[in-house]
Amino acid sequence: MSAQAAALLPEGAVVAFVDLEATLVRIRERRRMRALTATVVVIGEAARLPDAAAALDRVGETGGVRTILISEGEESTPTVRVTDDSIALLGLAPRFHDNAVAALRLSSLPTVVWWRGGALDALEGVADLADRLVLDVDDPAEVWRRAIAHVERTALTDLRWTRLTRWRALLAHLFDLPDVRARAATVRRLTIDGADPASAKLFAGWLRSSLRWTNGTAIDLRQSAGDGALPLESVTLSADDLEIALHVRPSRTCLEASVRGGNIATVSRVVPLGDSALRALISEELGVRARDTAFERALAAALEMPA
Amino acid sequence: MSVGRDDAVNPLLDGLRIEPTPDPTTLVIFGASGDLTRRKLLPAIYQLARGQRLPAQFAVIGVARSAMSDDEFRNHLHASLKEFANLSAPDEVSTLLASRTTYVSGEMDDARLYQRLRSTLTQTGAPDGILFYLAVPPTVYGTVVKQLGAAELTASDAPARWRRITVEKPFGTDLASARQLNALLHQHLEERQIFRIDHYLGKETVQNLLVFRFGNGMFEPVWNRRYIDHVQITAAETVGVERRAAYYEGAGALRDMVQNHLMQLLALVAMEPPMAFAAENVRDRKLDVIVSAQPLLEENGSGANFVRAQYGAGWVSGAEVPAYRREDGVNPRSTTETYVALRILLDSWRWAGVPFYIRTGKRLPKRTTEIAIQFRRPPLHIFRSVSPTAIASNLLIINVQPDEGISIRFEAKLPATRMQLAPVMMNFRYGSAFGTPVPEAYETLLLDAMLGDPTLFARHDFVESSWALITPVLERWRASGQQDVPAYEAGEWGPRDADDMLAKDGRRWRTL
Repeated sequence: MSAQAAALLPEGAVVAFVDLEATLVRIRERRRMRALTATVVVIGEAARLPDAAAALDRVGETGGVRTILISEGEESTPTVRVTDDSIALLGLAPRFHDNAVAALRLSSLPTVVWWRGGALDALEGVADLADRLVLDVDDPAEVWRRAIAHVERTALTDLRWTRLTRWRALLAHLFDLPDVRARAATVRRLTIDGADPASAKLFAGWLRSSLRWTNGTAIDLRQSAGDGALPLESVTLSADDLEIALHVRPSRTCLEASVRGGNIATVSRVVPLGDSALRALISEELGVRARDTAFERALAAALEMPA
Repeated sequence: MSVGRDDAVNPLLDGLRIEPTPDPTTLVIFGASGDLTRRKLLPAIYQLARGQRLPAQFAVIGVARSAMSDDEFRNHLHASLKEFANLSAPDEVSTLLASRTTYVSGEMDDARLYQRLRSTLTQTGAPDGILFYLAVPPTVYGTVVKQLGAAELTASDAPARWRRITVEKPFGTDLASARQLNALLHQHLEERQIFRIDHYLGKETVQNLLVFRFGNGMFEPVWNRRYIDHVQITAAETVGVERRAAYYEGAGALRDMVQNHLMQLLALVAMEPPMAFAAENVRDRKLDVIVSAQPLLEENGSGANFVRAQYGAGWVSGAEVPAYRREDGVNPRSTTETYVALRILLDSWRWAGVPFYIRTGKRLPKRTTEIAIQFRRPPLHIFRSVSPTAIASNLLIINVQPDEGISIRFEAKLPATRMQLAPVMMNFRYGSAFGTPVPEAYETLLLDAMLGDPTLFARHDFVESSWALITPVLERWRASGQQDVPAYEAGEWGPRDADDMLAKDGRRWRTL
């Protein structure tokens, strides 16, 4: 065993000689010999922090982020808990949120604020410090209205949008077919079934803004019970002689897209729904650096739709 | 998504967080029942399907000598995914993929096979764009390409009806055979249709080398003879010849590793900045490097720039292993080299006088591939009077495998009252920094071939220039017959001659 390898082993560790290479890799990972890439600030009510913290802890096992958790309260000097991976400020008054973020974030690296609820005035304060603002609240209408005002300075998204990535990608694949694209303007009706009305609205807003529909296209958003795990159940675009449909397969693990009608031979495609765990969603968001103008347009269009 | 298409832009692509997907594609795999298809290609296709990277219209046609029905080939697909994609049972994605998979059997030199293939392509309504993947022995390339040409399967009469071909290394066995192979390919295909795969180029770290060098402002100013003392490129394997003796006996380390993989690494580390990240710009600059290399065989016939050796018996990773000549399928009097070390000098303004040392071998103590750039020491050791230790050179190490990443070694003050210096290593690990899995090289390269992006593939002139550099060495060894093949003990870092080659320059191989 080399001196370098021996130095990395914990005291008293015993490994088989043949497993040394794998052991070294594991030790390197445990010792966090890695590059830091961002600060992630989670802000919300105390009850909404543990699952976010757990998700970021999982992200932290494979990626280099500093986590700051802030639960809303009335304190100017909150309880502080520090671990290897995170700093938690418990009960901090909203007016101090931006101070805390400014003091604790990593310098010269992006700051991502994961907004899970709280005073909207505080949202505006931290939005100015953030490079990216990720919204994640149960009823987003008011937060959307306030946050969209910041898009020129802070990249904006919503975890609902992240949950819709596979849906959007699959539909976009079908629009790779020139015959489908040619009929985009002839869509007369959009029908979306789903458990989450806000997600349905966002998806409809995306289609409306991307395909430049005018009021000639009827938008029918239907709330269905679902099982709560998936934001949507089905999306159907009906054109003069063509129907484009997306729906969750009975297995509830895959999504199917199909095109029928026109001169197009029926095309069908099945893809996994993907990992919808909080860890996977926030991990995907941390991989995005640029401003998401498609989301901004979708959000603006969604906000124009009747409640 | 679709690139290079002439008609209207897909309005739903804007802001979509997925990578481009190819136009409708039929992937025709020659050698569909073989090891490469089973281990690499089918799992890569499945992962691309899972990741939504394949076009909506996609089909696979397997072609091989083995008689197999469509259903048997589909079972072959599922078995491959079970073993190499960790898929315990077929899922919906693999089932749909299987439903788009067909199989055609026949002898590669039989024109009727290609007529059957042609019928399958038209009768099944397979997508118009076709990628032919030659996962067959190189000796069959010529036959397949000739037959494809004769069956008019390589001609493209419209942009959507594109035809491309992917060939695996080795691209020839010397300069003459490489030229012959290229000439044959060019009889039936244009260069833009040919994708010569080198899986090293699909590795993230290798691609990141371009970003590291040309996406940062702080490294390129010191990336030259003024600041760099020398460069060491190492590709070490712990395995022996395994089940590849039949191939390896005729190839050896120089053909198997240096002519392709290590020449690509050399080109990427030494190339000038391309004008743009565009395929031909990048490939032109890489070619410049190989063309600028001084002949390895010196004018006086000296072989001071290369060393070969063959492993003897020894111990690797705690197990006793036999000598190369005792391996199954190896000639007991074989002179095939399992280790090679080269000293390459480039005639360029940037690199004049900076040696590039390359070494690769089997049965070495550790599996690792890396590029180590050793910088010159500071011109004056101002701490000499207070710190007795010599200053270590700064090192920049690009780890290609298995632990992809970049490390920098620099001097730091030991925390104590006295001024003492010690080298420290700062590490960036690709797999852990971003928290996302690193794709397999074959996924990247297969997708690029379907997209028609040749940036990460070897061009004919690069291949020929690389052979032109090493063929004189091969000829010299051939001329020397059974002599001059030093041995090194398995589990050691190669022969003494390799150490001596660097020692003559006042340098030594990096400790790995």
